[in-house]
Amino acid sequence: MIEVRNLGKSFGNLVAVENVSFIARDGEITGLIGPNGAGKTTTLRILYTLMRPDSGIALVDGFDTSTAPQEAQRRLGVLPDNRGLYPRLTAREHIRYFGRLHGMSGEPLESAIDDLVATLGMEDVADRRAKGFSKGQTLKVALARALVHRPHNVLLDEPTNGLDVASSRAVRDLVHRIRDEGRCVLFSSHIMAEVQALCDRIVVMGNGRIVAIGTPGELRDRTGESDLEEIFVAIANEEVRLRASDREKAVA
Amino acid sequence: MLSNIRVVATKELKDNLRDRRSTILSLIYPLVGPVLLGILIILVGASLVAPRVSEHVVVAKGSDQAPDFVAFVRDQGADIVETDIDDVAQAVRGGMHPAVVVFPDNYADLHDNEQTAQIQLIIDSSRLSSIMSIGRTIELINRYNRQVADQRLTTREVAPELAYPMEIRSVNVAASLSISGIFLNMMAPFLIFSVFLGGVYMAIDTTAGERERGSLEPLLINPVPRWQFMLGKYLASLAFTALAVLMGVIAYKLIFELIRVMGVGIKTNPSIAEFALIFAICVPIMMLAVAIQIIIATVSKSFKETQTLLGLLPLLPSLPGMIMIFVPLQATTWMMLVPTYGQTLLISQIVRGDVPPTGDILLASGSTAVIAALLCWLAAHFYAREQVAFAG
Repeated sequence: MIEVRNLGKSFGNLVAVENVSFIARDGEITGLIGPNGAGKTTTLRILYTLMRPDSGIALVDGFDTSTAPQEAQRRLGVLPDNRGLYPRLTAREHIRYFGRLHGMSGEPLESAIDDLVATLGMEDVADRRAKGFSKGQTLKVALARALVHRPHNVLLDEPTNGLDVASSRAVRDLVHRIRDEGRCVLFSSHIMAEVQALCDRIVVMGNGRIVAIGTPGELRDRTGESDLEEIFVAIANEEVRLRASDREKAVA
Repeated sequence: MLSNIRVVATKELKDNLRDRRSTILSLIYPLVGPVLLGILIILVGASLVAPRVSEHVVVAKGSDQAPDFVAFVRDQGADIVETDIDDVAQAVRGGMHPAVVVFPDNYADLHDNEQTAQIQLIIDSSRLSSIMSIGRTIELINRYNRQVADQRLTTREVAPELAYPMEIRSVNVAASLSISGIFLNMMAPFLIFSVFLGGVYMAIDTTAGERERGSLEPLLINPVPRWQFMLGKYLASLAFTALAVLMGVIAYKLIFELIRVMGVGIKTNPSIAEFALIFAICVPIMMLAVAIQIIIATVSKSFKETQTLLGLLPLLPSLPGMIMIFVPLQATTWMMLVPTYGQTLLISQIVRGDVPPTGDILLASGSTAVIAALLCWLAAHFYAREQVAFAG
């Protein structure tokens, strides 16, 4: 389970996230949506321990990502914003490297690698060096190395960004399978259709804040719209109005 | 902990060894120094060996005025030839002759009247290769002078010793028989240059390069403390640096063997054990060099910026050595405490055939190792910073 409480983070004068709180439960797929610059990546980076929050805490299975980063990392599988590969290592070597860094070795590691190669359908590239891999192939390797230690919590930052239809579907199938195993999935996206199709719960972010949280049904009821894209626009407008009235109050 | 560091170091070594071009290039760089040194000593050095008297030729103008001198020179085993060139100065400046002795028209008269005749020795002091020949000519003139003076004094029944209160006998203690010995001083700065160049590509590639390729962010999410990632990459770069320096040291040994076989006047030929000592003396500087490289690669903003900064770095530590080629310094204790400076002096001592004091070796190695350890700690500190993982 992933829990975020009153998270705040600024870069100089720029407030990236402010007072962000939400929970991503086990056995559920939680979608973090919002336009570019909404603070999704910063929130995820704090969750996967590479950034420290200025305020608030982020917990992974109860472990604080700032004070117990390694405990949190052991329980996390992450597809980060940057997902570069080593051009001179094969797909299999990428997965093995990360498995070893999780303390795995020998037969258990090799069979975990074989499983992932089969699950992600990457037999054709498994023993090829990563130089020249397509976006889809790169993503599969990045996913496989993130999941090699069977993490209980999976964080995916824009996993289907730039993928073709087949690769996107492979990712969606994988996400469903992880959820069905009772694990926790939190993923960010700005593609409404994808979020609608996948998520059990949606966290909508805008301008570094949480704008709305709920199941797709709850968000529909709240806005009176049936299409998530319309829901999103309605919420975004609502937020703009709130901000404007906040400013007026402040001026008054 | 150890296994994490080993996993990171092994991966980096394997990854970089697969980059054939960079690997081969970084193992060729350390050979540039020894090859250059070999060329300088063998080609330039050979021309600086003092010619044997029998091979020496005095070039003269107006020598018909001085048959005595001509006979004396031939008697000494050298040869003397008359030049018919009018512009002697131009001929010497152009390198046609190393030196020309010009006798004045009235030389014979002055000589016969037992007066001092002024002769001219035309030389070009900026021509290093002429030094030995000029010296030989001056020596012949001096000897002739003394012989004639002795005769003149003896006929007047004056003991020649009265005219010479002093006599010079110089004892050459140089490690080499020729002036090319100064090239030996180049080995230390060349070697230190290769220490700072050997693993530099790997240090950049595993830090700034990895960040720019976007693979550092996923890597750092693994449950391994940052300093262990840093140390793994550090050790891989250190191993590579050591390999490059080892290549250089072996090449130096081969070049010295070649110099000995060719007999171009370098007396010293350090043994394999002495070269092993030179390599050992370089180890603390390798530790220092890689720590500096990782710090720069970590704090600079891009791969390109890192490359520029680290391209200039090797010049700095080899600078004192470069200066010492021409202005050799006496080693003192404080110099040993300065990283790369102490080692430059120690390596130069070994190459010249001296045995540096053990205390000096320990002092230089110890102080450099301590500074390297502090820099490693600093590198780990920088590696723990938030912005390390993200490019831009």
